[in-house]
Amino acid sequence: MTDPGGRAERGAGTAADDADRDVLERVATGELDALEELYDRYRTMAYSIALRITTDAALAEDVVQDAFLGAWRNANRYLEGRGSVKTWLLSIVHHRAVDAVRRRRPTTELPDRESTPPTALTIPDIWPEVAGRLDRETVREALAGLSEPQREALEMAYFGGLTQQEIAARTGAPLGTVKSRMRLGLLSMRRVLVGDGGQLPAHTGERDDGGWAES
Amino acid sequence: MNLTHEQVLDLAAGFVVGALDREQEQAVRDHLASCDLSHDELAELGGVVPYLAESVDQVEPPASLKARILAAAAADVEARRPTTAEPSQAEVVTFPTEAERETRRRRTSVIGWSLRIAAVLVIAALGAWNLRLQQDLNSARQPANSVAVLSAEGGGPSGIALVEADGTVRMAMRDLTPTTGTEVYEAWVIAPGGAAPVPIGGFTVGQDRVGVFSAPRAGAAAGVTLAVTREPRPNPTAPTPPIVSSGVASTP
Repeated sequence: MTDPGGRAERGAGTAADDADRDVLERVATGELDALEELYDRYRTMAYSIALRITTDAALAEDVVQDAFLGAWRNANRYLEGRGSVKTWLLSIVHHRAVDAVRRRRPTTELPDRESTPPTALTIPDIWPEVAGRLDRETVREALAGLSEPQREALEMAYFGGLTQQEIAARTGAPLGTVKSRMRLGLLSMRRVLVGDGGQLPAHTGERDDGGWAES
Repeated sequence: MNLTHEQVLDLAAGFVVGALDREQEQAVRDHLASCDLSHDELAELGGVVPYLAESVDQVEPPASLKARILAAAAADVEARRPTTAEPSQAEVVTFPTEAERETRRRRTSVIGWSLRIAAVLVIAALGAWNLRLQQDLNSARQPANSVAVLSAEGGGPSGIALVEADGTVRMAMRDLTPTTGTEVYEAWVIAPGGAAPVPIGGFTVGQDRVGVFSAPRAGAAAGVTLAVTREPRPNPTAPTPPIVSSGVASTP
């Protein structure tokens, strides 16, 4: 918590990140033009991930609408937070999409829609400068390079919206095994994407809570 | 649910990929907000997650989605505005207080934005038409089914009104003379064929000369005339001439 906002110190952030923050600041003051700009920048990314998770075009549209309205209402909360706007937005979309598919599954208990806080996880950008321009193929290769059970666990969780318990039930693996597959899978992807050293850029040292404390 | 530091580390991978139930997730957040120990691994794992998203095939959303989102955001602005002293009065729409500071630029931008929505709606309607050809109607939703451009003879106050499928009217006007005292601008729906004007609500206008107004389920539909008059006091039953600005709602 030594660097709230973190903007001044984030000199390594890309020009696109800075432009995004400017747009989001305008969104926070209620400028509809800025929301439109934000939408135009990230509509494809948002819709693609929503569609992948929900596998339903109409539901994916609802999720994207929900997510951008969440951003519209909570833009000031981002300004107090960390990480890139893109990642923040992505995490909102993911969160809403997972909520949507869990709601669709009668077996999963979910809090009432209205009581769900309109915020999402804040995923910290640990190494955007290192990996920010990885192309889609590289990421896919990293995913494909995992062992089958690791990849399956991560995909069922991230794209399927399943909880660890549900993955354990479906795959017949013990819960502890599922947890460990997910952890090792992520670490392995990280090694491929960042390289064996996997050293974090220096500026992350300022974020000793990893940016997770507040959403 | 209180979690120990070790329990949080155990849940870290599930947390970053969203594989906890929402209660567990909140418990992890609560822990992170209060625990001073290192959560480096959680941050390391979390850094991978955006790249999972990057692996997805990119698909363009339908053009109509933009109109839906912008219309919903505009409606949200109105819903969040501070309630007026007379809640039982016809709906009077002003911008939130924070907006007052940015007066003209923002308000002008709302008008420009509304006009752009109208353009987007044209595209949306075409898109929805195509959609209907391709799939069931139930998945096709339109934010509005008609649009009226309001104008005055010889220039003067002008604006745009969106009429939604349930009869809701959303209107944005500019170049209106500011109201004083009990004065309001009143919006009217006039059905085709010379029907009597029906009042749907009023709004006041400040020095920026802009008025934004919405009337939920006002019974409007394509083909009606939407008109605005300036009234000496709220809740008129008949319009006081002249009509300040008017236009016919038509399907784009």
